[in-house]
Amino acid sequence: MKRDQFFRALPSYAYLIILGLIVVLPLILIFSQSLMSNQEINRWPPKIYTPEPVFSNYVNMFKRPDLKLGRWLFNSIFAATAYTLAVFLICAPAAYAFARLRFPGNNVLFFILLATVMVPGQVTLIPNFLLVRNLHMLDTFNVLIWPGAANVFAVFLLRQFFMQVPRELEEAAVLDGASYWGRFWRIIMPLSTNALVALGIFVFLGHYNDLFWPLITTNSIEMRTLPVGLTLLNFSYGGMERPLVLAGAIFASIPVLIVYIIFQRQIIKGVAMTGMGGR
Amino acid sequence: MSKLKAIKYIFSLVLLVFFAQSMAQDAPEPVVTDFGTGGTLISFWNGLSGSDGVTLNEMLGKFVEETPGVSVRTEIIDWGTLYPKLQTAFVAGEPPDVFIVHASEVAQFQSYGMLKDLSYLYDTNGGTLPSADFAQPGFNGVFVDGVPYGVPLDNHGRGTWANVGLFEAAGIEPHIPNNFDDLVAMLQQLTLDVNGNNAASADFDAANVAQWGTCMEWIYTDFESYLWQFGGSIISEDGKTATVNSEAAISALQRMHDLIYKYHVSPEPAGFDSWQSWAGGKVALVPTGTWFRNFAEDQTDIKGQALPAMQVGPNPGTWFGSHVFMIPAGLEGEKLAAVEKMILWVTDHQAMWAGSGQVPARISVQESLDPALYPSNITIGKTFQEYGHLEVVSKAILELQAALDPELGSALNNQKSIEDALNDANKRMQQVLDRNQ
Amino acid sequence: MQNSESSNAGKAVPKRYRLSLKTRETLAAYLFLLPFILLFSVFVIRATFYAIQMSFFDWTILKPIKPFIGLANYKELINDDVWWLALRNTLYFSIITVIGTSAVALAAALAINQPKVKGKEFFRVLLYMPSLLSVGVIGLTWVWLLNTQFGIVNYLLSFLGIRPINWLGNANLVIPALSLTTIWWGFGFPMLIFLAGLQGIPEQLYEAARIDGARTGQIFWRITLPLLRPTLLFITVTGFIAHFQVFGQPFIMTRGGPGRASYTVIFYLYEAAWRAFRMGYGSAIAVALAFIIIFFTLLQFRFIGRRVEY
Repeated sequence: MKRDQFFRALPSYAYLIILGLIVVLPLILIFSQSLMSNQEINRWPPKIYTPEPVFSNYVNMFKRPDLKLGRWLFNSIFAATAYTLAVFLICAPAAYAFARLRFPGNNVLFFILLATVMVPGQVTLIPNFLLVRNLHMLDTFNVLIWPGAANVFAVFLLRQFFMQVPRELEEAAVLDGASYWGRFWRIIMPLSTNALVALGIFVFLGHYNDLFWPLITTNSIEMRTLPVGLTLLNFSYGGMERPLVLAGAIFASIPVLIVYIIFQRQIIKGVAMTGMGGR
Repeated sequence: MSKLKAIKYIFSLVLLVFFAQSMAQDAPEPVVTDFGTGGTLISFWNGLSGSDGVTLNEMLGKFVEETPGVSVRTEIIDWGTLYPKLQTAFVAGEPPDVFIVHASEVAQFQSYGMLKDLSYLYDTNGGTLPSADFAQPGFNGVFVDGVPYGVPLDNHGRGTWANVGLFEAAGIEPHIPNNFDDLVAMLQQLTLDVNGNNAASADFDAANVAQWGTCMEWIYTDFESYLWQFGGSIISEDGKTATVNSEAAISALQRMHDLIYKYHVSPEPAGFDSWQSWAGGKVALVPTGTWFRNFAEDQTDIKGQALPAMQVGPNPGTWFGSHVFMIPAGLEGEKLAAVEKMILWVTDHQAMWAGSGQVPARISVQESLDPALYPSNITIGKTFQEYGHLEVVSKAILELQAALDPELGSALNNQKSIEDALNDANKRMQQVLDRNQ
Repeated sequence: MQNSESSNAGKAVPKRYRLSLKTRETLAAYLFLLPFILLFSVFVIRATFYAIQMSFFDWTILKPIKPFIGLANYKELINDDVWWLALRNTLYFSIITVIGTSAVALAAALAINQPKVKGKEFFRVLLYMPSLLSVGVIGLTWVWLLNTQFGIVNYLLSFLGIRPINWLGNANLVIPALSLTTIWWGFGFPMLIFLAGLQGIPEQLYEAARIDGARTGQIFWRITLPLLRPTLLFITVTGFIAHFQVFGQPFIMTRGGPGRASYTVIFYLYEAAWRAFRMGYGSAIAVALAFIIIFFTLLQFRFIGRRVEY
């Protein structure tokens, strides 16, 4: 019986292992190449591992006069965190209203929201740039936080999730005389931790890896985010210093990897509950 | 997962940030792109990447050392990103205090009213910059309707780099023949298949080439060089008509095509990394620019030698551009004075700029260069003055390049016939010109 | 129905309590929505209309005078070969990427969901890792992996006796190659969604099917896939919307080449708006693209969504 079950799982294992290798091989290459010298990296046949790893790329990365990686990392994490909180603060109440409250225009408004998802992001870029300029928000953290905070994706997912919270839980609170805000804040939100974490990760990631908006709205070198800075690194040194660029890329990826590993279980639960899974 | 664990992780994350920052501060070398401290801080944007940027930073370090009261913050942004960045920064009212773009783009930026009239800096208008010392025809590029809007830093343009070892192995002295037939004959000797047969031999296996005679690098500029060699140009002299489907253009592109598909001395351009292949000893003669110098020198196992651009057409001719300092129209006061100081200092010390591989814009500096130290700058630089053509000056040059460049790629990768590619390019370029009349 | 009720409620005195409750609920709803609506209307609605307006002008950001030119941008667009080419490339890219991503992700989710497979968490983390990277890192890495002469992919293929393939340099291969990169990068997210969807399918359904003697294949086609249809719809709709806007991959990996073989709509938009300084024309491209995305989204709802029962 046990053997039978093992054989049934065999194709699954085979697929996962092959896929896993395809996924992990390039990642290993990025890492090992970041430890190679400029000469070694150009050799043929390509090497997957280097007998004499060079850690100088990682050290040089911080010594480079034109790279403020520490500051950029701080900017990226700070802006992405603040943005994620802003999205929660603004989108969760809206999603609650759409999910649970009856008001005229509910459906029309929600339809307009969904329709805007189909408008390419590039459309709003220039108008929004001009607007934040007039608001004197350029080159501040505000510009990285507020323009995207009305996140339709977040409203959609949270609405899906809130709709699944049993109404009885709220009704009990109503009998206790809870206000709408109290119902939202004390009943619904605590029940939604997993969904919020899942959503938060996706929102955070999207913001952390965004390139074009921070590129045009931040001018000073102190306000750059990591992807913007890394683009600089890539283009400034071009193919000439690939290992250095890769070292920078790894540096940029570590924080998100840590965040993902910490929260991955909640993400799965959260995703399951937001109804993206279809239930 | 417990809250405690999460807190631990977040704590270590914060530590990581501080660790990163402290490492940045502990770096022994002088920090950041800020050169000097205190005094008037000027911001300076440019697209000078690679060894250009390294050389520039050295110069700026020296400049602030010698100039109390001025500090400089440079930002190197790749050209493709620099243009959007400049536009938005100007619109935001926060342009850099000084920036570098190419001479061919002066007309375009000037047409938006972005640039300051710099005639007062030149000796012809009471300034100190010696107009007569700037090499022609590059210097013409900074003028729009007789007014100079910039100060040239260099001329940078097309030449070739020979892998001397591969030439010696074939028994050929590194040189550029002055006609196409001899050029092809030479490149055939330098192209070897995996069995060691060269491209002229009957046994040559074109499908398994181990060493190429030449390759395609920056196709756009080489095409323009060869077009000039045939007596053509991409647009008419009055700048109103696109002329890129002329007979000269077809001949120039046909010969580039022949190098690949008829004579098999060059690989298909797409997917071929010319610099890396040169570094790997797989190309004997790579067409490239003055900026190749430091890359070539870094490849210590290959002996390189700079030569003029290949002569594909009946007459010699080569493409070059010019990096030009520009000042935003609105800059005044202290910052303006500091920027002027920087431009004048850099212009006086253009000899240092030769270290980047580019050719200094001033004739006196070009002549003072030590041939033993700057062979490539001198060899290629000479050709700019003798038969060089400055990149076409037009209010829409960036758009013209965008219209032409992909079509050249299509033709040379056999996606389109040469005539179709050039006709399509011509049509688009004409539309661009019509729009910008 | 609702309308008549509320108008009656306004007149009938005994129903005053209900009316005030309703008003209170409405009021609360609007207050909850206020911050969102405020930002939404400023940064999304207003910006969209502004962009539509721009598309009727010869709009250059640095020029003080921006003349009104009516439909000229759209007329130019219709006759613009590059636009049509970019659209075709984008469509091709989107279709193979959406299909590829969904297939790889669904298979991975099914495999992980297999009750007998151990190390579910490990695979979940591992397979999601590429999605954590930014497009810049992905592009940079894959340009090198797919390099014709020096790339590791061709090196590995050479052991199978396959001659070097010009992945990014061949006009017929470049879009599939970019798509391959994108699938590698992006299948993690749909995988998580499929996993969630699979976990929502009651185990009893499978058991019942097995008791009836259904085979694995039959179970998949008759039970799993139909029940996953809403998930599939979500994945394909959001996937199409995202991949229609592909920009970073061609921008970093091919610069639109060879020739214009990997020009995509947003790549072309970027070139028109930011390199050629023609933002009016860029806006026209964006507006046209929006309509195309809307059309394809409706199409998918028709084909996949019709049979979905919410």
